[in-house]
Amino acid sequence: MAKSDLDNANPTVLSVSQLPSRNLAKGHERRGPDSKYDHILFPKQWWAGSSLNNDPSVWTSDEDEDDDLTLATEEPIDEQEIYGKNYAPSGCTCMARRNLLSTISDPEHPVTLGQIAVVRLDDIHLSPSPAERLDPNTLTNVEVDLTPTVNHCSLATVIGLAVRVRLENALPPNYRIIVRMKDGSHAQDDQVNKQLGDKERVAAALENDTLKGIIEKMLETCV
Amino acid sequence: MSNFKDWALQYVLSDDETAQSEIAKKAAKEIENTRASSASVGSWAASIQPWITITKQDDDNSDDDDDDSGSGDIIARAKALGFLADTLEALDKSLLRPEQVIRLVGFFGAMFSYDHKAGITASAKALRQLYAMKGFKPAVGVKMIEDVCKLKEDFKLQTAATRLEIYELFLSLVQDQSVTNELQDKYGTSSGFIVDIIQLCQNERDPRNLMLWFKLLPIFLTEYSTSDQVTEEIFKAFSAYFPITLRSSATPIGITADDLKNAVRACFASHYKVAKLAFPFLIGKLDQGDAITVSVKLDILKTVKACVEQYDNPQASVVPHVSKIWNSLKYEVRNGEVKDTIDATLEVLRAIANRLDGTKAQKFSVSLLKNYIDIVVDDCRDDLANPTYTKQAGLLLMTVITTNIRAFTLESAAFVDIIRKNLRQPKSPSHTKDLLLLLNSTLKSRADLFKNRKQGNSEDEELFKTESKDHLVALYHDVYLPTWTSKSEETTSEVLKQVVQGLALLATQQTLRPDGQISLLASRSVCFEVCSLLIHTLTKGLALSQNDNSSDAAVEDEAVLALQSVVATYTDGYAELVDRAKVEIEKRDWTSPSKYTLNALQDILSRLAFIGCSRIPLNIALDDEPPKVFKPLQHFIKLAASMQDLFPLSPLPTSEKESLANSYVISALHGAMLHFRDACFEKFEPKVLEAYSGSDRNWLEEFQGLSKNWLHQLQGEDGSSEVVIKEDDPEVYREFLRISLFIVRHLYREAAHGKQAPWTERVFAQVANLAALVVRSLDENLQKSCNLAQNAFNFFFSEDLSSSGPSSVAPFRKLLILGILQGLRPAAMAELYAPQGIAETFMCDTSRMATVLLAVGEIRGTICAVLANKYKGGQSTFDPESETMKRVLSFWGEQLKTATNTDDTDPAIFEVYNTVTMHTLAGACARQDKNVLSLVPILHEAIASPGPNGAIVARTIGGLVKTNELLTSENHAVVKRFYKQWTYTHFAKPLYDLALPTGDEDTAFAAGRYTTAILSLVSNCPFEVYQEDLPALVRLLITALNNNSSASSGGDITQPQVATSLEVLVEILSHEPEALKEHLKAIITAGMKTYEEAAKNTNKVLARNLAAARKLTLQLLRAIPKKFEERHLLPYALPMQRMLAMASGDKSREARKVALLARENWAKVSA
Repeated sequence: MAKSDLDNANPTVLSVSQLPSRNLAKGHERRGPDSKYDHILFPKQWWAGSSLNNDPSVWTSDEDEDDDLTLATEEPIDEQEIYGKNYAPSGCTCMARRNLLSTISDPEHPVTLGQIAVVRLDDIHLSPSPAERLDPNTLTNVEVDLTPTVNHCSLATVIGLAVRVRLENALPPNYRIIVRMKDGSHAQDDQVNKQLGDKERVAAALENDTLKGIIEKMLETCV
Repeated sequence: MSNFKDWALQYVLSDDETAQSEIAKKAAKEIENTRASSASVGSWAASIQPWITITKQDDDNSDDDDDDSGSGDIIARAKALGFLADTLEALDKSLLRPEQVIRLVGFFGAMFSYDHKAGITASAKALRQLYAMKGFKPAVGVKMIEDVCKLKEDFKLQTAATRLEIYELFLSLVQDQSVTNELQDKYGTSSGFIVDIIQLCQNERDPRNLMLWFKLLPIFLTEYSTSDQVTEEIFKAFSAYFPITLRSSATPIGITADDLKNAVRACFASHYKVAKLAFPFLIGKLDQGDAITVSVKLDILKTVKACVEQYDNPQASVVPHVSKIWNSLKYEVRNGEVKDTIDATLEVLRAIANRLDGTKAQKFSVSLLKNYIDIVVDDCRDDLANPTYTKQAGLLLMTVITTNIRAFTLESAAFVDIIRKNLRQPKSPSHTKDLLLLLNSTLKSRADLFKNRKQGNSEDEELFKTESKDHLVALYHDVYLPTWTSKSEETTSEVLKQVVQGLALLATQQTLRPDGQISLLASRSVCFEVCSLLIHTLTKGLALSQNDNSSDAAVEDEAVLALQSVVATYTDGYAELVDRAKVEIEKRDWTSPSKYTLNALQDILSRLAFIGCSRIPLNIALDDEPPKVFKPLQHFIKLAASMQDLFPLSPLPTSEKESLANSYVISALHGAMLHFRDACFEKFEPKVLEAYSGSDRNWLEEFQGLSKNWLHQLQGEDGSSEVVIKEDDPEVYREFLRISLFIVRHLYREAAHGKQAPWTERVFAQVANLAALVVRSLDENLQKSCNLAQNAFNFFFSEDLSSSGPSSVAPFRKLLILGILQGLRPAAMAELYAPQGIAETFMCDTSRMATVLLAVGEIRGTICAVLANKYKGGQSTFDPESETMKRVLSFWGEQLKTATNTDDTDPAIFEVYNTVTMHTLAGACARQDKNVLSLVPILHEAIASPGPNGAIVARTIGGLVKTNELLTSENHAVVKRFYKQWTYTHFAKPLYDLALPTGDEDTAFAAGRYTTAILSLVSNCPFEVYQEDLPALVRLLITALNNNSSASSGGDITQPQVATSLEVLVEILSHEPEALKEHLKAIITAGMKTYEEAAKNTNKVLARNLAAARKLTLQLLRAIPKKFEERHLLPYALPMQRMLAMASGDKSREARKVALLARENWAKVSA
């Protein structure tokens, strides 16, 4: 596609570090030149001997949070998780992030939807809110409002479709997904919203190989 | 004589090179046999007449009509001449007489006039052979050149190989001194022959020939005195090729473009008489601007550099062109963007400065260098005030000024002055930063120049004695301090970092006193102020409140590095730092500090250790003071003594958190030792240090006569009583170990006899780790002579104290025993293993075991593991019958038997017993002690015993092969390479048959236990160990999962074997998925069931185990689609996708992440 064909040839792009992220409470992190031997001098467990019992709590002091303990913490799905870009605790290499929406690629530019603020953390709403949801099986509504970079964006439906597909693939079945254009952000938001809300039309769109190809390409970047 | 004719004919008719050379050899032999009589040589030469005669006619014909009818004859003629050339090659070189040589040269030389088609290759070859003859006369050489030059235009029609022959002939001739003289005589400076040769060869294109051509041309310049005109002709001959490139060819010729470039470059740089042509030519090429590529630019710059460096008589050759070169080159840096070009340009500028300075043997007049630098300074001065060009201009200036010592002493003051003026009115924060960076780089270069001062001319060193230093010393008050204190917006964190770096560079500058002694450039007061400033940056953290954001970690870290280098030379600074930090720390109440304050304490103590001990200080006097006593260990001693004073910070801690402050003090000591050890290893070879890690004296005995305050005394000593150690003497390491051992002894005695309150578990552990470091660094003899094995148990007192003291603390004091034992070498522990000796008593001691905590049991067990591991029995040991270990093992075997066969032992207490047993066995297993095997049946029996204790054994048996950090070669442990394999074979293998369920209820129970035991062992072994038992193992794993994955059938999902089975399955899946192929259905069903069961369970206490089980199951399920073909998975895809959809709403975020990935993998299955 030639540059002049783009709906918005020059969108404002945020750098990855500017995107909202979850800062996990971290301990006192030392990175100075003197920290070379910190693993020996200030070990997480005050005694590093081998234990037959796989219970680390015997050796860790009360306030040091162990990685295993975060595993056990019950944290319901919240807006930040749907948005994506969680900061994993340092040292955790495995599947560091669970990115749902912010890392979906833009169909026009080599940037993510988060970077051009099409998807915004503030525009993701869960009801009932995570705090009220005691039972994980409660029926929950996820409402995502998208903000196209220009109000005549012809790709708004494609982006909406990709967001919808991504959420359907990633959220458990008790989440009802509603994807819309933010009020006034698009010249034809009513029509687009109608299209995105119509199950039949969504299913029909996904039958279209070209469209499916575009969406798969957009979702390639979110792992 | 007719032989020659026959041979010639044979030669001409033959196409085989070997046959031809055979014929030539025969002919040569024949000539040699006749001692080269005129007759034989004559008939040999005449033998080719038939072909030559035709030639004449041929040539005449071809002049008239240019047809190819004679081509066959040309070939025959060429071959006939080749016969002569080959014969000459085979001929004895001393045989031909001078007149014969002359005649032959005449004959072959004539070919260059007459026979351009056939005669050249053979003639050139023949001439080269004749040149090598003894009868060759120089005058003949001149004739040869003249003859060959007659070829003229037809030269380029010759094949490349023929031309190569001619180049080689020329090269041999012009390199020959006698021929050279003859040529000079005949032609004088007009050097007509050179012009002829150049005209002959000027259109050469073949790379191989060019390499020779470029070798030939410099010889004309260096060996012959040529007129300006001829010089110009020669210059034109090679400069026409510049810049040279080489088209890539399908047939490699062994010559690269770089070879050609270097050859042309050598032509340019061969003699200074081309300087007046070369520099304008090269600069002209460079000034073409954007028209030239980077690689051409680099070629030009390298060539200029080669010229500058290699021309003799630089006053005449380089100086006249300096300003022209500079004017062209400065833009390459000022406006340049490509790093390579900038670097190459700076190299040229540096080369000029070095060339103008003189050589190692002789310095040139100072004005040459000064004029050059003045041009540079004048041009760059204004650019320094312009933020856009500050960096580039500074780079140019700095490069030139710091090239050599004379340049630096000449112009550094002016340069520093310009920077200083600009810093007073900076245009932007980045301008300030760039200027500071320049200043710092200048100081750094000065330090490098000082370090390498002896490598150049001897005058250089003298320059340091007389250089003016005031402008450098004044930098502190004029530049660094004002920048640091100004709170303007220019002082960003980056700027402050530069200031800190600059301060360090300034305070570490060295200079030479008039008497040749090295001293610090800055005065004591400046060094003191620099230190104060930096110290304040580090200590203020303690005084700040949590909400104060004025501390900047990056600047602090920079200050740490700065102080590290400053106190290595200005040694008084460290004492100041430690004292100031100590005062700050003592000001505070450490009984219940906030987390923030504790972090600040941790930082400052850790930094103190790093700053003072990570480098061995240097003995450098202060400029204005006489040398004073210097000890390379003074910083280490200062820190150790101060930490001794500080401990305990919190005398009566009531919780682990309150004891943190105390443990940080010990950590500082430990850190100091680690850093100092590193510093020693950096300075000396490991082998040298090994030799210095022992002593023939008993240090502990010496310590007995010393007071507790020995370290303080050492500090105050003027060195008269001690042997003075220099900083580059490896004795430093031995002394370091001695002081470290004193510290260990002091801490151990305090821990054993002093007030018990500050000695919490954490502090014990820290001290033990520190002791381990010191002990394992000592060599075997010293460990023995100090009797450290015994002292481990009596804490450096004369009686055994290991089991006395208040019981609430004493158990953890066992960590101290471990600290020393883990670092000992097996031979140094031999004494402990005497029958009924300390080791045996300790390992078989079950007193008070019923009342101790499991954690204490672990420590006790670990000591047993170390003792069991480093055991050695047999002749000439303290245990000649090798009975001790046997007894210990059978003792524990009995204990195990009793505890599992009866219900007398409470499982909670048995857990402690079992811990000690397993550890002891693990230590012996690592050594592959055969006595362990006697316990195999006992353990197997215990596992199957019906009581709960059997379950404990089954669950923990994996401890035998669990990797233990204390049993490593660094700790001198005896760890056999295949011990895990060995242990697995003896303990796990026999159980496989018994572990398979038979349906019988009696055996089912035992089978379950055996399964647990096998899984416990397997999960601690690498995959290769159990690889051959995979079929049986996989069945067991599936059974274990199935049995436990359903609460309704009495299984328990939280059982450890569930997690273990999942872990092992993931491991197998990643190494050998084929083994699981047949069981896919069972694994997937069991996995799904396990997940669902774990998700249903809401037991809060077991939340961690449940979450782990869920995550592991999902990890297993996630990996499956990647390892198997789709057809194997299709039947499970739908239910799996449904389950994973549910799982992506898992309670734990970690599990959800895995679920999402699993879902993606499985989504592809049905696609």
